Amino acid sequence: MVELRGVGYAAGGRTILGGVDVRFERARLTAILGPNGAGKSTLLRIAAGLLRPLAGEVHYDGRPLGTLDARALARRRAVLSQHAEPAFPLAAIEVVEMGRYPHYARVPGARDRDAVKRALAAVGMTERATQRFSTLSAGERQKVQMARVLAQLDAGPGASGRILFLDEPTSNLDVRHQLQLLEIARRLLAEDVTVIAVLHDLNLAGEIADQLVLLDRGRVAWRGERPAGLPIGTIEAVYGVRARAVEDPVDGRRLLRFMS
Amino acid sequence: MIQRWLGIATAVAGLAALAAGAAPAAERIVCVSKQINEFLYAIGAQDQLVARDLTSVYPPEILKLPSVGYHRALSAEGIVSVKPTLFLTDGNVGPEAVIEQVRSVGIPVVVLRPGSTPDSAQALLLALGARFGREAQAREVLVRWRAGMDSVLADSARLAAHAPRVLFMHFGQIVNNYLGIRSGTPADRILRWAGGRNALDSLGGMSRLTPESIARAAPEVIVATDVGFDRVGSAGKFAELPGVSLTPAAKSGRIYRIDESEIMYFGPRTPAAVRHLAGLLHGGR
Amino acid sequence: MSRPPSFRGTFTGLTVALVASVVLSAALGGFSFTPARLFSLLRQIAGLSPALPADAIERNVLLSLRLPRVALTGLTGAVLGVGGTLMQGLFRNPIVEPGMIGTSAGAALGASLVFVVGVPVLGPAGGFGFFALPLLAFAGGLAATLLTLRIASAFGRVHVFTLLLAGIAVNALCAAGTGFLSYVARDPQARNITFWSLGTFTTASWGAVAVVAAAATLGLAAAAREARALDALMLGEDEAAALGVEPTRLTTRLLVLNTLMVGVATSMVGVIAFVGLVVPHVLRLTRSSSHAFLIPASALLGATAMELVDVAARLVIRPAELPVGILTAVVGAPVFLLILLRAQRAGDPGAHG
Repeated sequence: MVELRGVGYAAGGRTILGGVDVRFERARLTAILGPNGAGKSTLLRIAAGLLRPLAGEVHYDGRPLGTLDARALARRRAVLSQHAEPAFPLAAIEVVEMGRYPHYARVPGARDRDAVKRALAAVGMTERATQRFSTLSAGERQKVQMARVLAQLDAGPGASGRILFLDEPTSNLDVRHQLQLLEIARRLLAEDVTVIAVLHDLNLAGEIADQLVLLDRGRVAWRGERPAGLPIGTIEAVYGVRARAVEDPVDGRRLLRFMS
Repeated sequence: MIQRWLGIATAVAGLAALAAGAAPAAERIVCVSKQINEFLYAIGAQDQLVARDLTSVYPPEILKLPSVGYHRALSAEGIVSVKPTLFLTDGNVGPEAVIEQVRSVGIPVVVLRPGSTPDSAQALLLALGARFGREAQAREVLVRWRAGMDSVLADSARLAAHAPRVLFMHFGQIVNNYLGIRSGTPADRILRWAGGRNALDSLGGMSRLTPESIARAAPEVIVATDVGFDRVGSAGKFAELPGVSLTPAAKSGRIYRIDESEIMYFGPRTPAAVRHLAGLLHGGR
Repeated sequence: MSRPPSFRGTFTGLTVALVASVVLSAALGGFSFTPARLFSLLRQIAGLSPALPADAIERNVLLSLRLPRVALTGLTGAVLGVGGTLMQGLFRNPIVEPGMIGTSAGAALGASLVFVVGVPVLGPAGGFGFFALPLLAFAGGLAATLLTLRIASAFGRVHVFTLLLAGIAVNALCAAGTGFLSYVARDPQARNITFWSLGTFTTASWGAVAVVAAAATLGLAAAAREARALDALMLGEDEAAALGVEPTRLTTRLLVLNTLMVGVATSMVGVIAFVGLVVPHVLRLTRSSSHAFLIPASALLGATAMELVDVAARLVIRPAELPVGILTAVVGAPVFLLILLRAQRAGDPGAHG
C-alpha cells in the first residue's frame, strides 16, 4: 500500500502539486488521470521515489520512503515510462536482463536468468528474444520494457509489497497492444502487486482500473473506488469539455462521449 | 743489441696505442649538429660520419649520408639503428631524453657546446681536430679563418658609417612561423661586422614575428634565410607577406636570401658570409 | 551479461591478437629482430643464457628502449580503450572521447607548465623532476574535469548534454592556456610542447611504464566494478535511477577514474586521439554492448591497436619516427566516419542525448 500525505512540489516558480493526500490500495490497479499539466507524472515520480517532494511524505506499507536505500527500493518497485530508448545496439533479452540489476551482485545468476525467461514468456516475446531491440515495432518494444520491469519485480514466490508504476505506458501503442499491456499489468494483481498507472484515456481507465484519482492543477479533484462513479459534472469542470455517459447494451458498462 | 730492439719495439707499441686511443679504427659517428658537421668536413674528418640530422646540409656531399630525423624530433632507436660508435651533438637536441637513452644502450655520447662567440667556436674546431687526429688541418683552417676575420673586422668600421636597419627573418619549422633574430646572437654580430644595424632592439635568441612587429621594426633591408624564403618563392612574393609589405625594405625592393648555415653560427665561412652580407647591404661599396 | 561461452571465444581471439601485436612491436622498428634473435636476446636478458658481449648493444636496445616502449604502448592503448568505453557508457553516446570533458586538454596544460618551467622531466632519470610531469598533468586533467562538472551542475541536474557543452568550453580554455604557454615559452620549451602534444612513445622508460601501470591497474580494476551500473545506464538516466543506480555518484566515480587513467597516460605520452572513440564502438557493433564484456575487451583491443599503430609509426619514415597521434588520427578519423555512415543508414539511434 502506497500512501502520500500532504505532498507538494514546485519547480520553475510554479506550484505543480499542492497538498496531495492519496492512498493507493494494495493489490489494486489505481489510475491517475487529469488534463495536461495537472501534475500526474510528477505525482507518479514522487510516489515512486524518483523525485523528492518539497512538502509531505510518501509511505510504503507504513514506512517512510526515505528509509529504503536505492537498491532495496529497486527490488520493491519498478517504473515503466514511455521513453526508454537505448542509444546502443542491444538485443531484446539484454534489455530485459537489465531489470535484474538490483538483484545480482556482479554477474547474473541462474535465478536471474529464470526470472528473465518468465518475464519474456509473460509478455509473449520469447521467440524474439535475440532480435535487435531497435528493430522491433513500438508495441513490441514496450512489451519488452514491460518484461524488464516484470523481471525487476520478480522476487520468487511469496514476495509481497511490490509496486508497479506505469507512466502513460500506452500512449503511442495501437489498441491491441494497449489492451495486451494493461492485461499483463492486471494479472500482476493476483500476485499481490500494487499497480499505479498514469493514463490519459478515461474510457481505458474505466476498463481496467479498480480505483481512480483525478488531478486538476496539482490538487485531487476526485477520488473513488469505481471509475464509473466519476460524476460527469466533475469531468466537464476539470477537462473543460462537454461529456455524456452512454451505457454498453451488452454488459451495462459506462462509456463516455466527449464534445467540445 | 736486444735492449735497442726492445726500446724500438716499446716505442712503436706506445705510438700504436696512442694512435689507437686517439683515433680508434672503424669509428661510426652520428652527428646531429650542422655546425659540428661542417667543421668535421672542414678539417677532413668526415670519413667516419655515417649519419646526420635533417638540417645538416653543408657541404653538399653530406647529403649522401642518411638522416636520422630533425634534431628536435629524434628517436634513440633510430640513432642506434645505424650502429654508431659515437653520438655527437652540440646539446641542441629534442626530446632531451634521447641523449640519456642513447647512453643507456651503451653508446658513448659526446656533447660539444659551440658557445656563442667566435673564440668559443674556434676552440670547438681545435677540440675536434684533437679528437680526430686532424690537429694540423684544424690549425690550417683556423689560420685562414682568423686572417679572414681580421680583414673583415678592418673593413667593418668603414662599413658601419651608414648602417642600414636590417631584419633577419628565419622560418621556425616547428612553430610554423617567422622568427626574428635578436641581438647577442651570432647572426647579429655577423650583421654588425657587415656594417648593418639590427632592426630588433631586444636581446637574445629568436622571437616570433607578427605583421605588426615587422612593420614597427621598419627595416630598410630584410634578409630571409633559405627555408623561409624558398617557401614563398621570390623576393616579390616575400614583399607581399603581411607586415612585410609595409616596410621600407619591401618598398625599395631590398629583400635578400641567405643560407641559414652562413649566419646562424660562427665557422670558417663566416668571413665570406660577412662579405656576402656586406655586399647585399652596401651594394659593393 | 549472460552468455559466457561465446564471449570466451572472443576473448581468446583478442588475447591472441594482443600477444601477436606485442611480439611484432618488440621485433620491428629502427632495429628489427627476427623471432629467433628476439628469443635469444630475451634469454640473455633473463639470465637463462650467457650474456655475449657482441650482443651488448642489441640487448641494451631491447631492454632499455624497446621493451619499455612495448609495455607503455600496450598500457596506454588499454587505458584509452577502457576510458572510451566508460565515457561512451556514461554519456550514452557513441561519439564521445575520454578527452571530451576536459581531461586531455587539462592534462596537456598541466604538462605544458612543467615544460615551460624547464624541469628536466622526461627520461629514465628519477627524482622529483620525473614525477612532476604525471602529477601536474593529472592535477590539470582533474581540475579541468571538475570544472566541467561544476559548470554543468550549475544549470541544475547534471544532464549529459550540458556536460558535453561545458566540456567543449573547458577544452577550449585549456587549449588557449597551452597555446599561450607555448607562445611565451623560450624556444626550446615551445618545441617540447608541440612535439609532445602530437603523441609519442619515443621517450618510453621503465619509470614511465611503472607510473602508467600503477594508474592503469587501479583504474581498470575499478572500472570493471562499474560494468553493471553502466549497463543499467544504457536505458536512460531515469530508468537507471529506478533500477537503483545513483546517476550523480556514478558520474563522479567514472569521471575521476577516467581522469586518473587517461590523464596519467597523457602526461607520459602526449595527446592521442581516436583510440578511445573507435575501439569501444567496433566492439559494440561486432559483438555486444554488455559492459562486463566491453570493459576487458576494450582494454585488450585498445592495447593491440596501439601496438600496431606504434609499429607503423616506427617504420613509416625509418630511421626517423612519426608522432603516434598523427597516425591514430589518420587511421581513426576515416574509420569513425565509416561507423557513423553505417549507423545513419541502419537507422540506429546513434547520437542520443
